[in-house]
Amino acid sequence: MTAPTEKPAPNRREFLALSGATAGAASLGMAAWGQNFVEVDVDAITNTDFATDVLVIGGGMAGLFAAVKAHDAGASTMIVSKGRLGSSGLTPFGKGFFVFDTDVETDTIDDFVDTVSRSALGTSNPAYTRQMAEHSMARAADLREWGYFDQTLSNRPFMKPIEDRDIPLLERVHVTHLIKEDGKIAGAAGFRNDAEETVTIRAKSVILCTGAGGFKPNGFPLGDLTHDGTIMAYEIGAKVTGKEWNDGHMTRSDNPAACYDGWGDMFERVPSTNGVEVHHDLGVDLNYTAYMTGNPVAGGPGAQPSDGDTIEVEGGPQTPEEFQRDFGAPGGDGEGGGPSSGEGGAPGAPPPGFEPSANVGGASAGMAIHKSEGLVPFDDRCASNIAGLYAAGDALGSHMSGGIYTQVGSSLTGSAVQGAIAGEAAAEYAETADTPVIQDVRISEIVDEILAPLRLDAGYGPAWVTQTLQGIMIPNFVLYIKKASMMTAALAYVEELRDHHVPMLRAANMHELRLAHETRNMILSAEMKMRASLMRTESRGSHYRLDYPDMDDVNWRAWINIYQGTDGSMQLEKQPFDTWPT
Amino acid sequence: MKFSAQTYAILSALAVFVGLPLLFYALGDAPRRTLLKEGISLITLLAFTMMLGQFFLARSNETLLSLFKPLQIQKVHKVIAYSAITIIFVHPVLIVLPRYFEGGIKPWDAFVTLITDFGNPGIVLGLIAWVVMVVLGVTVFFRRKLIPHFKLKYRGWRYFHGGLAVAFTVLALWHSIALGRHTDLAMSVFFIILAILGFAMLAHMYWGVRSPKPKPVSKGATS
Amino acid sequence: MTIKSINGCIGCQECVKSCPCDVIRMEHGKAVIAYPADCQICHLCRMYCPVDAIEMSPEKSIPVIVPWG
Repeated sequence: MTAPTEKPAPNRREFLALSGATAGAASLGMAAWGQNFVEVDVDAITNTDFATDVLVIGGGMAGLFAAVKAHDAGASTMIVSKGRLGSSGLTPFGKGFFVFDTDVETDTIDDFVDTVSRSALGTSNPAYTRQMAEHSMARAADLREWGYFDQTLSNRPFMKPIEDRDIPLLERVHVTHLIKEDGKIAGAAGFRNDAEETVTIRAKSVILCTGAGGFKPNGFPLGDLTHDGTIMAYEIGAKVTGKEWNDGHMTRSDNPAACYDGWGDMFERVPSTNGVEVHHDLGVDLNYTAYMTGNPVAGGPGAQPSDGDTIEVEGGPQTPEEFQRDFGAPGGDGEGGGPSSGEGGAPGAPPPGFEPSANVGGASAGMAIHKSEGLVPFDDRCASNIAGLYAAGDALGSHMSGGIYTQVGSSLTGSAVQGAIAGEAAAEYAETADTPVIQDVRISEIVDEILAPLRLDAGYGPAWVTQTLQGIMIPNFVLYIKKASMMTAALAYVEELRDHHVPMLRAANMHELRLAHETRNMILSAEMKMRASLMRTESRGSHYRLDYPDMDDVNWRAWINIYQGTDGSMQLEKQPFDTWPT
Repeated sequence: MKFSAQTYAILSALAVFVGLPLLFYALGDAPRRTLLKEGISLITLLAFTMMLGQFFLARSNETLLSLFKPLQIQKVHKVIAYSAITIIFVHPVLIVLPRYFEGGIKPWDAFVTLITDFGNPGIVLGLIAWVVMVVLGVTVFFRRKLIPHFKLKYRGWRYFHGGLAVAFTVLALWHSIALGRHTDLAMSVFFIILAILGFAMLAHMYWGVRSPKPKPVSKGATS
Repeated sequence: MTIKSINGCIGCQECVKSCPCDVIRMEHGKAVIAYPADCQICHLCRMYCPVDAIEMSPEKSIPVIVPWG
């Protein structure tokens, strides 16, 4: 093994790890336990510095529009993405784009906003629901012009406006840190996947279009989404919301991890638009059925689709009568007779992954409802509580749909609409903001934090820690059918990972460095999820408590915001529905 | 059953130039895809072995000349060459064609990515080989007009034609080994052996003539 | 084995770029499956490949954790 490094004084934890490793090697005559066989020369890693007015982090639907509209509003704009434009996050897989076409719809936008709010049981933010509907046609028109509705894959249509405008684009750069100076956003930092290089970007304004995330679950194309934006923002003081909601997608018991196969031909479909169709798609009701009856359940998890009769289980998450649908009836779902679209545009109801014949739950474990979790919006223009920091799409807890799936295809539309609004707001802010000054010492501090897993001589492999976290969080009786005792227990595990394992996450190369940072983000996200779920002592929408099975309108017509206390601990607060935070 | 020498020659040629590539294809590791895609792979593979086969369907192949009339050989040479060139001419398009029928990248985008991948030597070699092949085809087509312009007339044309063929083969072989889905070790060795044998026969014809041995084969194969 | 094999790679790097999970890397001018355990079986690499070189399998290469079996 390599000699203990040139670091002056290993702290106690490192020291223990090192001596443990040495003892292991000596007694067993083999490679030291947990040893980090670093493949890169950490000291040779260089840093590249960029500067821009508006920095867009994320290359999905929200990031695209944020960059385009910020640029068009006159700001120098740059995109940085962990993956490739249009080929990362959930954007490549959504195929339905909701449009509120006033020529087609018989109801008004007011009616639509009310319907969503009723289905969402009050959890939706009407300002964002309305905005999404109002701007949907314009965003669809932009996308149509770029060729988005002509092909399966999004990269080329997304590149069109970016190339036309010559917007600089950094791809395969994993951003790990937001930088705040004097209470205002000052930039971001991260590293390249393909080069031994860190990257710092000074920016007057930053828009997080980083999507939501999960625990790298199986059966949903969520493997690259680990709530990175939320955690970065939380750590510089942003407020986070919506963590108690649960996305309830299921997957097949046969090869549950094969999300392409589980979604039929959907990933190969060409995106299209759809009109108003408000659902109350729970998913978590099937988790309850599995919990109460074991598995396989006839007509439910683990079973082949039977002739329409699903097992009746007392209690559990309930769909409001207005929004109940009979999934058994073939093809007779929408009033108009046209094919209704599932989430993301799959024809026919229910959306893929919500049907009784989908076999295993937890496909999207760790993800809340689209647009319900993320940064707390402080106005209707995607601003956070940190000056210059905006968020859009799934990174913004706009509660556009509320804590439940409501309007079909609204996730892509919401990302497009919010991205555009955030882009304009950020450009406006940047116009009057001063160019941020970041001290060199601060930069090198951040670079050290970024590279820390590469400098460990021994530690925990991030893949193993992730699997351990999955084992703690994904069980049905922890994440979905919640009760205080189990959540308290899970929280204790998560705290152990946070306090002991996070500092010891090791990485041997740039790929593992990415995994290490992602794992850390997932652990903090798990803590948020457990704390928010414990705090909400009621059941509402996709949040179901076995020990509080009823909706409590007296105490819980409120969202839960999470923020970091002055002592670094996680703090939670209520924010009443229909109010803006102050 | 007794074969005439001619039948025997034809059967063995088929065995080598059709049978063996099919065998190596069947034994290869490349996963099977749809009928259309595998069909395209197969005709491209066979087109290439047919091109290699041209070295053996020429006046350089003394055995063949002793069995068939030069005109017969020439006709077969021509038919096979034009068909093979046609397939190889369009094979970059054939590769992306199935995308038209499925989700994923659009055929035209795939084609552009494919032929502009200049960072890859295999692609660059393929592009050059393709151009050489086009020149080969065009010059053959207009050979009657071209032959008088060569200094050595017909002999000059033969050097030119053989030279282009060798250049094409080297480039295309390299290209196919570097990039081919089915050019695993067995297929590559097979191609290389065919090419070397073909080159050797050509070399023997051009430079071996000066050997004291009298050559009885100069009687036909003019064109 | 998730993303299973790459046959007939032309080295264009489309798959490397389009993989959300950084599973594929370049080696000697060809794409290789470097980190199969991180593959989410989304098929984007296969769909972006201009020469259809990528073969997928629905099987994950590491144990799969689900809420109920």
